Amino acid sequence: MSVPKKLFSFIQTYFALLVVVAVYVWSVFVIITYRAQEAPPEAIVIRLGHWQLEASVREAVDEMAEKYRAMHPNVIIIQDAIPESTYGQWVSTQLMGGTAPDLLQVGAQLPANIWLSYYNRYFQPLSRYVYNPNPYNAGTELADTPLRQTYKDGMKTAYVPEMQEYLSIPLTLFGTRILYNKTLLKEITGLEEAPLNYRDFLAVCAQIASTTNPVDGTPYIPIAGSAYHFGFWDSMMFAPVTYGALRRADFNRDGFVGNDETFVAFKTGLLDFHYPPVAGWLKMIREVTDHFQTGYTGLGRDEAVFLFAQQRAVFMTTGTWDAGSLLAQAEGQFEVGIMDFPLPANDDPYYGGVVEGRIYETPGVGFQFAITRASKHFDVALDFLMFLSSQKGNEELNGIIGWIPAIKGTEIIPLLQAFEPHLEGVYNNVNFALGGNTTIKWGQEFDLYKVNQLSFEDLAGRFTRYYLENGLKDFLEQQRDWRRGMQRNEQYLAGIRGRAILADLAMEQAGTPEERAAAELDSESSWVRYRAITSARQIWGELNHARQMDLVNQTELPEDFVGPYEYSERVMEKIRRRLREQKAAETRLAKEPPDDPPPAESP
Amino acid sequence: MQIAGALLAGVVATLLVSCAPKTEQAQGDAASLVRNAWMAYRLGEYQNAIQDFTTVRSMTEKGSDEWAMATYGLGITWDLRRPGENPRLATQLYHEVLNAAADAPIAPWAELALARQLHLVPVGQEPDYDAVNAAYQKIVDTYPDHLAAKEAFLYLESIQLAKLEPVSSKASAERLLNFIRQDPGKAEFVGPAYSLLSVAYVTLDDQENRLHVEQEAFEHTETDPTDPSVEFAWAYWNLATIAEFEVGDFDLARSYYTALIKEYPNDIRVHGSKQALKRMDALEARLLAEEEER
Repeated sequence: MSVPKKLFSFIQTYFALLVVVAVYVWSVFVIITYRAQEAPPEAIVIRLGHWQLEASVREAVDEMAEKYRAMHPNVIIIQDAIPESTYGQWVSTQLMGGTAPDLLQVGAQLPANIWLSYYNRYFQPLSRYVYNPNPYNAGTELADTPLRQTYKDGMKTAYVPEMQEYLSIPLTLFGTRILYNKTLLKEITGLEEAPLNYRDFLAVCAQIASTTNPVDGTPYIPIAGSAYHFGFWDSMMFAPVTYGALRRADFNRDGFVGNDETFVAFKTGLLDFHYPPVAGWLKMIREVTDHFQTGYTGLGRDEAVFLFAQQRAVFMTTGTWDAGSLLAQAEGQFEVGIMDFPLPANDDPYYGGVVEGRIYETPGVGFQFAITRASKHFDVALDFLMFLSSQKGNEELNGIIGWIPAIKGTEIIPLLQAFEPHLEGVYNNVNFALGGNTTIKWGQEFDLYKVNQLSFEDLAGRFTRYYLENGLKDFLEQQRDWRRGMQRNEQYLAGIRGRAILADLAMEQAGTPEERAAAELDSESSWVRYRAITSARQIWGELNHARQMDLVNQTELPEDFVGPYEYSERVMEKIRRRLREQKAAETRLAKEPPDDPPPAESP
Repeated sequence: MQIAGALLAGVVATLLVSCAPKTEQAQGDAASLVRNAWMAYRLGEYQNAIQDFTTVRSMTEKGSDEWAMATYGLGITWDLRRPGENPRLATQLYHEVLNAAADAPIAPWAELALARQLHLVPVGQEPDYDAVNAAYQKIVDTYPDHLAAKEAFLYLESIQLAKLEPVSSKASAERLLNFIRQDPGKAEFVGPAYSLLSVAYVTLDDQENRLHVEQEAFEHTETDPTDPSVEFAWAYWNLATIAEFEVGDFDLARSYYTALIKEYPNDIRVHGSKQALKRMDALEARLLAEEEER
């Protein structure tokens, strides 16, 4: 057989294999040349993985990476922006395969317990660094402040209580407000700014709904809503109306009404759906959601965004994470305003005595990054995070993205100033999530109410009946595994105890006074931690359960019952007596001449 | 022949010399293996923890402190790992520690682990409280000054107080007061003892004493300095509301509400604290006006 024939026969026989080999060789070549283009061989490459696909985030990270490179020419930062929908799987495979980037955005897209196990196995604890000042804050008022205290929230979000360690460095502060189409609002209502008074806001919504869109001949939609957006409206504006339920149902007077307390208050008649804070919450839902587009509960986030971007709706809630993208979409088409959630006036005929103020917002930070154990350049990765979390760096990063900086003393871009959290205010105090069945039942009835297929009276009647009949059984079912939490604590505490015992041993075996001092410190710190957690979590398990069961089993109130924020007759009498005594003492003092009258002046 | 003898002597000498360092090496290895094992346990890598603890058990003398530590660690791992736990094996290992190394420093903790096994039963089961109480009491009696005994004492009292009835609460209050008096200089678990005492006084409806022991509990709180979530806003709120609603001591209540507002201006209870200050002022004004009218 001739050579060409042999060759042809060989190719024919091994064609598939040859294709595979060729593709492999080609891909190796492409990857090597691509990597060489990305980073010269001597460079330190820090890879950073996150799920923020908003264009401004990638731009901002690139820009900050360039600035960092200007200071550290041999460091190249490369980002892997992964869609939210696949981020969890991607992170898992990267971490387990040992190919994870140096820096990973953490805290969401996977269940909390999974993150916890990943933190344990795959990430470097950062506690020892958060107590030192950030070197990039040199020359600012934060120069000597430990990193932890430079955060607006004291860096609470980065702390993992189960591990007693800081695991990540957060970079931004999130908030939720209402975005509105200023151009359209003015066109329809003549108003320059959206009203912050609740009644005025409803009136504007009614006016918008009665105006026809000339493009498609249908009425404008006042508020672009969806199942996703309803959650924000409810948590930020409607549910805080229930704050006053505290006075009736906060039996343990801890400042919050738990699911067990709500149930007992309903069972004993202290609360019902007609109690003004509860009725007001549902009334406000009805009044506002009537201005959402029809069928909003079945729609997702994107459908609402389309309505807003296409100028068919005037208002829409949004978080800081979306604000930048929405503003970019609106650019050149319409002017966007950002407003706080409307609030009823103090003299409002219905809500005046019910709504006590704006919502209390926890200053929660996010966009947090942790350093993986697989990182070959831990120091550089940490240094880059320090750069991003410095006062200047954080302000610049968030300024580019259009988010709120997480560090104290930073400037917020003017448009986002409306997102500044309210650090004093009220919060939700009704919780029907007593157990699996009750929660489902509430969800079903509430959904029907939201879309106006169930009246307030029907919702109140149907749910109360179910709640009172099935609530206790449901609660007991949920409480069956109350010891599980204690078992988890026990597992965790045993680790701390082991560490403390080892520190004691190290103290005994220390060769030098310095070693002994260090071991002593470690031992003391470990035991304090052990006792603090044992006291806070384990000792109270039995008691808390007993008190909770005692509470939910109450069917009627004792004769001398007074509300949690009311005074008993005994206490009132004591206060009266004290006031009488005070008054008597004051009267006595006024009647008595001064002890040492000044000597009369001689003429 | 002489050369052969010298060579043999050399070999023997080398072997003998190598013996001593080998023992030291083994001990050194045991210590670092135990450290590694505990680290693996904390990281949730239970298989590695089991392997290292088992190795130490096999390389150290039964009954020695190192052996006891490894046996206890192995017991803890089998007891508390999820999934794959083997509580029976854990019980056996804890007993091994107590039988073979009763004087080892780890023995009280092994005893406490046995008591905790009886108390923290699986979901759906109820503990045998007589057995649990006896197990805790045994630790208190056997190791009276040990931290494990103090912890056992608090569990014991929490079970008694959880009955929420006056007779056992009164007896418990006496024991808790004794515990606090016995250990006045030490902070170990004194704060929680005061907190438990407060529960007893709630059941006994002795609000003045409740307020007093809550103040003591606050004074004796031990905090983990590395935990940013540790703050005293809740303690201030708790003391303020007891002073206001249970004792009617408005001056004290005002001082705690004011401390909360001043020290924790971003706390969620600031609104409630401000309302409380207004509420007390309004009530006093009303009562004074009523007195005037009389």
